[in-house]
Amino acid sequence: MSAPALTLDGLGVSFSGFKAVDGFSMVVNAGEVRVLLGANGAGKTTLMDLISGKTKSTAGEVRLFGRDITNLEEHHIAQAGVGRKFQIPSIFRDLSVRDNLVVACTRRPSVLSNLRVKRSADERQRFDEVVETVGLSGSLDRLAGALSHGETQWLELGMLIGQGAKVILLDEPTAGMTQGETMKTASLINTMRGSHTMLVVEHDMAFVREIASKITVMHLGKHLAEGSIASIEANEAVRNAYLGSGGIH
Amino acid sequence: MNLSFHQRWELFAYAAFVVAILLLPLVADAFWLNRFAKYLVFGMLGIAVALSWGYAGILNLGQGLFFGVGAYMISMSLKLQSPTSQLPGAQTPIPDFMLWNAEPDAMKDLCCITDGSWLWIPFQYQGFGIAMAVLVPALIAFLIGYAIFRLRVSGVFISIITLALVLLVRLVIIEFQPVTNGFNGLTDLGWLTLGGVEFDPYLVSTYYIVAIGTILVLLLTRLLVAARAGLILQATRDDANRARYLGYNVAAYQVFFFTVSGLIAGIAGMLYVIASEFASPTFLDLAFSVSMVVWAAVGGRSSLLGACIGAILINTVQATASESEMLGEAWKAIVGLMFVLAVLYLPRGLAGLARDLLDRLREQVPTRRGALPTPQRSE
Amino acid sequence: MADIIFIGLSLGSILLLIALGLTIIYGAMGVINMAHGELAMIGAYTAVMAGIHLNLNLILAIPLAFLVTATLGWLIERLVIRRLYSRIMDTLLATWGIALLLQQMIRLSLGLAFFGITIEGMGTGLQSVTLPEAFSQVWRIGDFVLQPYRSFIILVTLGLAGITWLLLYRTAFGIQVRAIMRNPEMAAACGIDVRRVSSITFAYGSGLAGIAGLLLAGLKTVSPDMGASLVVDGFLVVVVGGVGSLVGTIVSAGLLGQINGVVAILSNDILARALVLGLVILVIMWRPGGLFNFKGR
Repeated sequence: MSAPALTLDGLGVSFSGFKAVDGFSMVVNAGEVRVLLGANGAGKTTLMDLISGKTKSTAGEVRLFGRDITNLEEHHIAQAGVGRKFQIPSIFRDLSVRDNLVVACTRRPSVLSNLRVKRSADERQRFDEVVETVGLSGSLDRLAGALSHGETQWLELGMLIGQGAKVILLDEPTAGMTQGETMKTASLINTMRGSHTMLVVEHDMAFVREIASKITVMHLGKHLAEGSIASIEANEAVRNAYLGSGGIH
Repeated sequence: MNLSFHQRWELFAYAAFVVAILLLPLVADAFWLNRFAKYLVFGMLGIAVALSWGYAGILNLGQGLFFGVGAYMISMSLKLQSPTSQLPGAQTPIPDFMLWNAEPDAMKDLCCITDGSWLWIPFQYQGFGIAMAVLVPALIAFLIGYAIFRLRVSGVFISIITLALVLLVRLVIIEFQPVTNGFNGLTDLGWLTLGGVEFDPYLVSTYYIVAIGTILVLLLTRLLVAARAGLILQATRDDANRARYLGYNVAAYQVFFFTVSGLIAGIAGMLYVIASEFASPTFLDLAFSVSMVVWAAVGGRSSLLGACIGAILINTVQATASESEMLGEAWKAIVGLMFVLAVLYLPRGLAGLARDLLDRLREQVPTRRGALPTPQRSE
Repeated sequence: MADIIFIGLSLGSILLLIALGLTIIYGAMGVINMAHGELAMIGAYTAVMAGIHLNLNLILAIPLAFLVTATLGWLIERLVIRRLYSRIMDTLLATWGIALLLQQMIRLSLGLAFFGITIEGMGTGLQSVTLPEAFSQVWRIGDFVLQPYRSFIILVTLGLAGITWLLLYRTAFGIQVRAIMRNPEMAAACGIDVRRVSSITFAYGSGLAGIAGLLLAGLKTVSPDMGASLVVDGFLVVVVGGVGSLVGTIVSAGLLGQINGVVAILSNDILARALVLGLVILVIMWRPGGLFNFKGR
């Protein structure tokens, strides 16, 4: 019986008494695209910080395919298979697009194993696949900092795929994108579904409709509701907490 | 080997530099060769700074610490080989300053002539001095780096810590006068002896030791940054968090390259002593450490060859200018001005300027094929 | 023992003035001003020149020193610093270059030495300032000798610290400075003229340095390189106390000044400095934000 991709068990963090995340539990299965909804300040980004190691939790556990990764250092969590995409796209602006992807696709992270110039066949293949998937083959020699906003987001996504991350945390991946770019991102995510597990924080409901397998709603750091889009729309508690009575648009 | 336009020119620049350095003895007399050997050492320091600052993003304002320690280590051995340390009737060579500071009834032996003199005992073997000059600065760099980077100290605080450290060690060296001869430093050193051959600082062969050392450091460091680890290092400089979330132990990379940088500086210190026959606490002056950063900034902080040449250039002109006091002071003002202008308008230094000129020339001159060559990257 | 503390306090006062300027500049603008020590040196030379050419005594020269160094600071900000806001770490380098320039300016008597002209009060040699008559009187409180000049230093420093506090916490300008310290983009969005405030802030900080230098001139000989160690000490104080924290800077300056003074007397000067340096290194590693930085996550 294989363990679910991501298991959060009573996860919580308290900052001088203020509980940003409180006793949060959730199970995400392999290959799923789970969308995390919640008003601003509900604790969504903090939750991602806890999973990826940016913030240390004060309660609960995080398990990746059954392996306990609670409070490990960021790079160990990343090596275990967690990838994180930030709200403000973070890529290596002073390096070329090619170099960004090369850094991401490198198989072994230690200094000593990287005292070499050549790429392994495995890395080359992964590199080529990623370039194909995110559609940046024309921009390989451009400086990453010169890319458009949408292209930067896709580059970051590509880096996460190249990293070999099995569970990817996406924090507002379509923020600042045009309609066209949003749709392309949606199809990208749908291509990745199945081979990757994704946890997505989003506000753009049209986008959510395109990609979500299941939705989890957070409120005031706690788990409020979970289910399909339809069930969430109909959920009284969700309406009251977050949407007002107008429903999801 | 398929090289891009820029790579071909870089190769050419490196080759030209190496050839020029090796052929210098044909045109320079012993006096100038010796001077130039010292500038080559400063070039090495420029390389160390470029590696740490340009590639790793670590602004070390106390590089002189490793330089000075390397210098003192080899000096201790060379001091014991000096004729001034030979005392008839003594079991071991004894540095003259220890003799002068000793109690009248102290035993004339390195073990106990003054406090701490026993530290000098193993330096009777020249090989030990050489080994220590290479290993101790690297070890210190490793320890400092480990402490700083594990704690995720970053930005200006790294600069302040390294600055405080070089000042601290300078004071320690001055304070422990019985062992280090304090302010006066170690002078009247013997000559380096390898395989029975003595290396007088004014010999051509001594110049070649320094020159080959510099060339080796330059080439090996260039290879190092061309490796995958070098690219990852630059990524950590660009965005350390992003690198972490990709699975890289950023601290490990920083410690590794900080240590290599300290190692280079230590070797530079050793070579400097071989060429100039003294070690002094002035090697750990703050102004000296910061001037290394100036050389790298002017030459090109992200270019190893650029920083090296920048250091050599500035020091060569400075030496010529110092012939007259007025000119010497004026030159310092010009260096200051040059530095400000370089920081404002030439952030990539002279190396960056050269690269831009090259690009502009390429656009002007059509190639034989009638089209611009597309950049290829070697894999 | 009391006079040891007293000497430590007076040294700490000058350190505080230097550190105050540095912490405001670094806190508000993120600029690491390596020329700060040289600005103090210029303040000292202003005192020297004012004494020689304008017949002004030390006390009267204070506003002049402030004016000269504040103007110099303002110029530095407008001409150099302003262009480096997109790469703020480079201000450390640029200001170091400016420090070199300022030192040489004094050594070469503003360049006139080239033409064989010497200006009395400038040049490569040492200068000194004679203290006004008022300071030669010595006051006694029981066994304790109150050195008037050192007391003057402490008083001036307290006064300036007070004025700085008033400026930062009781004026509209101060609110703008503090807003910029917290979040420059937000401050700009609220309509604060960040550039103007930055220039004035840099000028004010430089002015404080100038007065510190002037006060120092009354204690030690004045030379073109007297500023070099000041900026290092100043930054150590800032870093220990917590950047941008007024209280932190005051306590830290007092602390480091005291430790330095006490140890210097008890054993020796070199050991004192070494100890202070070691302490600072430990503080940075233990609490990178400084002793008084209680920022949240």
